[in-house]
Amino acid sequence: MAELIIDTKKCIGCGLCIKSCAYNALSLANKKAVVDDDCVFCGSCIKSCPVEAIWIEREIVEIKDLTNYKDIWVLIEEDRDEILPVSYELLTKGRELAAEKKCDVNALILGNNIQKKFENIFEFGANKIYYFEGSEFNEKLDEVFIEYLDYVCKVYNPEIFLFGATGFGRSIAPKLAARLNTGLTADCTILSIDDNGLLKQTRPAFGGNLMATIICPNHRPQMATVRSGVMKAYKVIDKNRRKELINIEAIKLQNKKTELIERIIEEKTKSISDAEIIVSVGKGIGSQKNIEIVQKFADLLGAEIGVSRPLVDIGWAGYEKQIGQTGSVIAPKLLIALGISGAIQHLAGISGAQTIIAINTDPEASIFSVADYKVVGDCIEILKGVINKLTV
Amino acid sequence: MKIVVCVKQVPSSNEVKLDPKTNTIIREADKSVINPYDKFAIEEALKIKDNLKGEVIALSMGIPATEKILRDAMSRGCDRSVLLSDKKFAGADTLATAYTLSLGIKKIKNVSLIICGKMAIDGDTAQIGPELAETLKIPHITDVSEIIKISENEITCRKINDNGYSIIKMVLPAVITVVKDINLPRLPTIPGVLKSIHASFEIINAHNATANINRIGSTGSPTQVIDTFIPERKNVAIEIEGDIDKKIDFIGDIIKEIMYNGRIDN
Amino acid sequence: MQNRLINKMNENFAEYLRDESRVCGNADSISFPKDEESIINIVKDAYNKNILLTIQGARTGLAAGAVPNGGHIINLSKMDKIISMKNVDEEYYLTVQPGLILSNLIEEVENKKICIENFSKESKKAYVKFLADKNKYFFAPDPTEKTATLGGMVACNASGAKSYLYGSTRNHVTGLKIVFIDGDKLSIQRGVYKARGRRLSFFTSENKKIELKLPKYEMPTTKNASGYFIEDNMDLIDLFIGSDGTLGIITEIEIKLKKRPNIIWGVNCFFEKEDIVIEFVQEVKKQMNCIAAIEFFDKNALEILRKQRENSSGFSKLPSVRKEMEASIYLEIHADDEEKAIEALKNIGEIMKELGNSDENTWVGRTDEDKNKLLLFRHAVPESVNMLIDSRRKDNSKITKLGTDMAVKSKDFRYIFNLYKKDLMKYNLEYAIWGHIGDNHLHVNILPRDINDFEIGKILYKNWADKVSEIGGAVSAEHGIGKIKTEFLKIMYGEEHINEMVKLKKYFDSKELLSIGNMFKIEKGSKY
Repeated sequence: MAELIIDTKKCIGCGLCIKSCAYNALSLANKKAVVDDDCVFCGSCIKSCPVEAIWIEREIVEIKDLTNYKDIWVLIEEDRDEILPVSYELLTKGRELAAEKKCDVNALILGNNIQKKFENIFEFGANKIYYFEGSEFNEKLDEVFIEYLDYVCKVYNPEIFLFGATGFGRSIAPKLAARLNTGLTADCTILSIDDNGLLKQTRPAFGGNLMATIICPNHRPQMATVRSGVMKAYKVIDKNRRKELINIEAIKLQNKKTELIERIIEEKTKSISDAEIIVSVGKGIGSQKNIEIVQKFADLLGAEIGVSRPLVDIGWAGYEKQIGQTGSVIAPKLLIALGISGAIQHLAGISGAQTIIAINTDPEASIFSVADYKVVGDCIEILKGVINKLTV
Repeated sequence: MKIVVCVKQVPSSNEVKLDPKTNTIIREADKSVINPYDKFAIEEALKIKDNLKGEVIALSMGIPATEKILRDAMSRGCDRSVLLSDKKFAGADTLATAYTLSLGIKKIKNVSLIICGKMAIDGDTAQIGPELAETLKIPHITDVSEIIKISENEITCRKINDNGYSIIKMVLPAVITVVKDINLPRLPTIPGVLKSIHASFEIINAHNATANINRIGSTGSPTQVIDTFIPERKNVAIEIEGDIDKKIDFIGDIIKEIMYNGRIDN
Repeated sequence: MQNRLINKMNENFAEYLRDESRVCGNADSISFPKDEESIINIVKDAYNKNILLTIQGARTGLAAGAVPNGGHIINLSKMDKIISMKNVDEEYYLTVQPGLILSNLIEEVENKKICIENFSKESKKAYVKFLADKNKYFFAPDPTEKTATLGGMVACNASGAKSYLYGSTRNHVTGLKIVFIDGDKLSIQRGVYKARGRRLSFFTSENKKIELKLPKYEMPTTKNASGYFIEDNMDLIDLFIGSDGTLGIITEIEIKLKKRPNIIWGVNCFFEKEDIVIEFVQEVKKQMNCIAAIEFFDKNALEILRKQRENSSGFSKLPSVRKEMEASIYLEIHADDEEKAIEALKNIGEIMKELGNSDENTWVGRTDEDKNKLLLFRHAVPESVNMLIDSRRKDNSKITKLGTDMAVKSKDFRYIFNLYKKDLMKYNLEYAIWGHIGDNHLHVNILPRDINDFEIGKILYKNWADKVSEIGGAVSAEHGIGKIKTEFLKIMYGEEHINEMVKLKKYFDSKELLSIGNMFKIEKGSKY
């Protein structure tokens, strides 16, 4: 068991550690910091303490012999007979990690009609492809995949296993992690190898407001999921590379507990998530009447309107227009933010925008911290001027 | 039918700022609330109870103060609640949490359905549901947007996929995780609030849960957080200064430029 | 007018010709002054050239008080700062500019995040004390429209749901700064200038002595926002509060903050029978002293909301109200601790049960999220009605919502409520009723389907104003008289007292330039 130690002799009761704790686990008692059970031992407070009064004592764990575990594995995911881009992105990343670890990148593909895809999988960096061909995977049911994954992990001892953070990946990966009693880090945005050869996994938490770096030192495989588009994919021309195909054994599945009745493909309806130009409005537009002016402006640009959460809360706009962590995540070419202060939940939803023009009366508004162009002023007055200019 | 809803206490806001002077993190939240996703889980359980009768039990792991949100869950219609609370549970990652919750469910006995919110807004992992199911060796469905049919031993759900949805039938007992807006959570009633003050609230510690000490808390957690930091934002914005007309001109030009370039790209 | 602050009216300023009453006026120019000096310059200029002036805040008013009648508009929305803070006898006072938006004030005060950039040393000292104070504070007046400005609220003596416990804006204003039409000024602190009987005298900044003979009428004892506040030995400040911008321009307002109760919970109680509601409210008023607001929604209001909920995604987040429910009462509990609040809940439940209703038909809001849902519900009702009327106006632009704003004495409430219903049924009008039943103050909203309904509605409205006046009620209890209810004020006080009011106005505005048409119609050149 790990323990967060606070040296009460050293502690000066300054409270910096309390402020630094993202988990609300610290408080002051008798002018000294104390820790409660919400602590996850992330170490933020250690860094914050001006007098070095805090440290973590971790129980010395018996070092297991983990040398049997090797290679980086990637689960290849398909949709409608096409390999998903995220799988290629993982192969590319895997290759980079493998170069550092001097090991192989192995792809696991379970599906129907997969032979024609091998070439591509190799091109994106796999050394070996483990595959099983069969129609039982078409339904994409967890309980079919889990048995194969479990088998592969137990027979081949992967050191690292990467999954796409797709709806499917986010369901099967934790199930597998629990089956193998190992660690899993979801939605990693940075993967690297540390000095001890461990996978360093960095992921956003608190709606993207905080990044956490996580390791899995004593359990194998080290598992991670990565969202689509976060990593880059590119092919390698490497003719000398050893390429191997391994057909894995069929596994008998007994008494299935889930059954797919129907699977419906729906093309996404046009929403602000897909819009190229977005005009977003916040409370700073002053009054509900001003939305008309914004609409006029948006029509002129062929833009969609998005709003910050307070506007939805007060009923000026519907939820479908809300941008941010609890609304839509957007990635337009141009975002014009009007009277938006930029609560971090909101900023989490707009980080994909290519160009952001922000107009706000408050020069300190946090929206400016992510904007490309900062305009301090009354957004409605300026907007009227811009409308005039663009219509001329 | 016995239904367990897993709930988590989270900070009321997940805003985190960096103190520029001390370079440390400042939390904006001053209150603890029930994880917003879990409200939909509670409502879904109550809806099933409305139709099939039975018992809805709110289950959480956390510090003793979590009692408050469990009482809140009971004010909405949960019949009782169980809190797994022990210093030894502290520092648990998702796997250790799932194991600990599974002990609670075994204690409750004969549970047919476990409902979790899709994810918690502080951790954002969405792992507890599947890990809990696997720990209990039962099936699960994530991202459920509708329960189409449910009986004592079978459930049919609509599950949201990345590009549509699936209708899946599953044998009970099982775990589902529900998406936001699967329902409209009801508000507590006066009798609900009054009942919740004295409703059964049970605290289970590690010993009573017969926990394997190697599978709980930080000891039972394969993963370790070794660092947390505030993500870097983009570089400083270009400030457009001058009088209003200058600002208007500048903005107009940028818009024209971007839109024009956009057309060429396409 | 030649002044760099003055803008000629053009299409871009079109919205400033209107307010929430949806009445549209006309004007030649508009200014957005940022300080008192600019205002003085503008009014002096207007005074010399005999230009009519209309004063505006956020234009959220429902009585057209901010709708111009020609001339120049002074829009105060750019004067929106909190200027100073003081701490006297453990009470906190803020001085604010008239354009400050209520929601911003609420946010800054309740979160203790006041922008102190322009604060003096003294103010900063008070603010430090405020921050260290373990109590939370709030500004009690709470009109439903939170984007109103403080200046507008003072001008019409706004009130809201919580006025049941805390009274209207008047009760929370302790100081005013006024600029008169000739550029002279006046600073008033409550308690400094008191009338002797109906005679009131005071000195302006330029040391001009003004002696007023106040009108002789007696105000109703109900909640009231009709006409000037006049009573024996009154405070001068009260004359300006609720004067609809007819006497001078408010440039600074000092407000007193109240300690915020530790527990604020909301309860929506639903009833299957509407007629039980009056009895329920009477019992709540009799038995409970921790209730800050008592609000009523009738069957039709609930039905309109039900329909709008299906059409508007904004309201679709609201839990649905069961079809059998004919009326709803919202109660807000303000208590020092949770135990007392629980007792209050119990009490409410018991009253419901005693009257043969199930206490299961309640929504209790204790968490911020739930309270927001209850708030959305209360906002959604008037909003839904406005949406309905807006869609009807597309077919017939002459139709508007006819919304009453009258309050009566407790003993007369059942009588007037029955009268409303009887008349509405008799003429088969579509309507929805909601409002502040705790203050015996309801908004009867007639929703005309055609011009015929509209005309009948207007007649009914006038008849009710007659009846309400007869029994000593107020024809406008919170929206103010503005330009659209001047007829009712005449009914309420009679020609003679209206003339007294006009005379009073002329003490301050001899040329008849300021907010003409508010409260009473002035024929140009009339002689009183």
